[in-house]
Amino acid sequence: MENRVKPKTNIILEIKNLIRKTLERFSLTSILIILLICLFPLLTYATDGIANLFSKWNIYLPIPSGGYILYISVQVCVYILLAVGLNIVCGYTGLLDLGYVAFYLVGGYTAGLLMRHVGFPYLLVVPVAILNGALWGLIRGAPTLRLTGDYFAIVTFGFGEVLFRIVKNEIWLIRDINGFVKDIPRASFFGLFELHQNWHHYYHILILTGIVIFVSHRLQHSRIGRAWIAIREDEQAAASMGINISRYKSLGFAISAAIGALGGAFLAQFWGNLSAKTFEFWESIIILCMVILGGKGSIKGAIIGAIIIGSMSEVLREILLKFPPAYSGARYLIFGIILVLLMRFRPAGLIFKKT
Amino acid sequence: MDQFFQQLINGIVLGGIYALIAVGYTMVYGIIQLINFAHGEIFMLGAYIAFTLVNFLPIPLWVAIIVSMLFCAGIGMLMDFVAYKPLRSAPRLSALITAIGVSIGLQNLVRMVWGAKPQSFTEDKLPKLFRQVPFTDEPKSYFSIFGTSFNENAIQFSENVSLAYLDLTIILLAVVLMFGLNRLVSLTKIGKAMRACAQNRVAANLMGIKTNQVIAITFAIGSALGAVAGVMVGVRENISPIMGFHKGVAAFAAAVLGGIGNITGAMVGGLLMGLAEVFGAGYIDPFLEFVFHTIGLGGMYDNEIISHSYGSGYRIAISYIVMIFVILIRPTGLFGKSSAHRA
Repeated sequence: MENRVKPKTNIILEIKNLIRKTLERFSLTSILIILLICLFPLLTYATDGIANLFSKWNIYLPIPSGGYILYISVQVCVYILLAVGLNIVCGYTGLLDLGYVAFYLVGGYTAGLLMRHVGFPYLLVVPVAILNGALWGLIRGAPTLRLTGDYFAIVTFGFGEVLFRIVKNEIWLIRDINGFVKDIPRASFFGLFELHQNWHHYYHILILTGIVIFVSHRLQHSRIGRAWIAIREDEQAAASMGINISRYKSLGFAISAAIGALGGAFLAQFWGNLSAKTFEFWESIIILCMVILGGKGSIKGAIIGAIIIGSMSEVLREILLKFPPAYSGARYLIFGIILVLLMRFRPAGLIFKKT
Repeated sequence: MDQFFQQLINGIVLGGIYALIAVGYTMVYGIIQLINFAHGEIFMLGAYIAFTLVNFLPIPLWVAIIVSMLFCAGIGMLMDFVAYKPLRSAPRLSALITAIGVSIGLQNLVRMVWGAKPQSFTEDKLPKLFRQVPFTDEPKSYFSIFGTSFNENAIQFSENVSLAYLDLTIILLAVVLMFGLNRLVSLTKIGKAMRACAQNRVAANLMGIKTNQVIAITFAIGSALGAVAGVMVGVRENISPIMGFHKGVAAFAAAVLGGIGNITGAMVGGLLMGLAEVFGAGYIDPFLEFVFHTIGLGGMYDNEIISHSYGSGYRIAISYIVMIFVILIRPTGLFGKSSAHRA
């Protein structure tokens, strides 16, 4: 008998190792940032306190209420999730996706309709929405496998618009006009715990976003991620190195679409209402703008881009409500200018320079 | 049958408009391989300029068309100079993203200046022949031959088939401009330069052609034609900031259908796309009604479980669907040469 050393598979040791490694890798600042993100809802109560303190001058000092700040942070978290999802197609495989909002729509309507009209519980709806999103990703991906560059972009754009029209017109499916789904129940877990306050939603989306970022990060550094990047750099060379182009591309489309659908499923129960207007073409461009601002192919970039553009978009939406309705488009004007300037001066992204 | 002929006329008119816009897309793509997403916005801007001139200043429509053509030509050249020229050597997707940025920017700028609501030309300011006759009035007939009566605003072929003088003007304008463009590209020196640039920009530059100038002129011509189409659509339907996006994408689909980069292709593609849209929108609902009644689900259709307004609802989607299928099945379009550099 030979003496083979059995590898230790002690779960406690593993966890200890993981914590030690994490502590070694993360500096004090990053731990502080994580703490700040986790305790963010508490801070919003502080702003409420400040607002109360200065309530006399509240007209002059527009201190936003804590609930509003929290609401915006939930939106921004959703944008982070979507930007990280879009980054898989746009950043890793290097294809320009102009119809990402389609998957967001698929997820939103899958969740909304199932919860509202069929009575599925949220925990069941989320995997269904993710699978449906992945399915639509494959449906769109299969015929577009051989397209590159602007033709791929145009087909994705057309696909998104067609789905938008379908939601608007198929009243037998949506059971209302203009894609309205009203009174979607809030997420509840086994009927015990219902998410009905903004901070519930905040932690919920924080966990979802965390998982998505983790998955995306692990994918990027895995065999799959390297295959995607190889395809982006040179498709023919990648194929000749034995990478199955169609398989890896399809996988990318499916994962990206599934993440978009997850975001949609969350939003359906967070908003409680869906309307086709939410899923217009411009929404795809906003998400694209985030990915490009941060630098295509970088998760950190996508996160920071989503934080900047997402919060700017939400705040501008509020500010512009005070102006005549014609000015409601001004935020899109700003995004247009951002896109043009970025492409002109920093095509690799504002935040990170990725070679 | 009357409905068919009326739809045919509408389709040809819409096709003429699409052809005028599609030429702008196809010329730019032919030379710098850029999908100029903002071309639809130029078209919309043309309509707004003419609208402002005609409605708020005592300027006749034909002068307004010329002014708006010149203005849009200028805007097109400016757009090229500011946004696209610095990106000539950048990856093509950068230029496409820039074009989308310009498109969103222009569209929302117009929304801020002129408002988001659809507007239309004041009837009194338009030439007499282009005015609508109120439904209550019987249109005045000038004379009639062979059962065709020439009314005050339309040629009445039969009771239900008519061709408005406005539509006739659109068709004639489209034909004349297209013919002129064709001659320009195939006979003149600048046309030769354009073709040279489309074949190989670097080589053209080495032969002493000022490529940047040629590209600017291409933008100007495309934008001017787009402006004409914009004004005509504005007079025929109405003007809204979103019109450039809708008609622009349909026209782009037409350019793809005809084979992008090919001017004749854009003309034919535009005509086909106009016909497809009008016939599709006109016959989807009757067709569905027929199908549902045939398979025995007539009750489901009659109870409006299935929408009765698919025609108008999917009207815009028709061009998207045609575009997707052309790109997937035959990316070179009807007339395009197979090219290796394009996927």
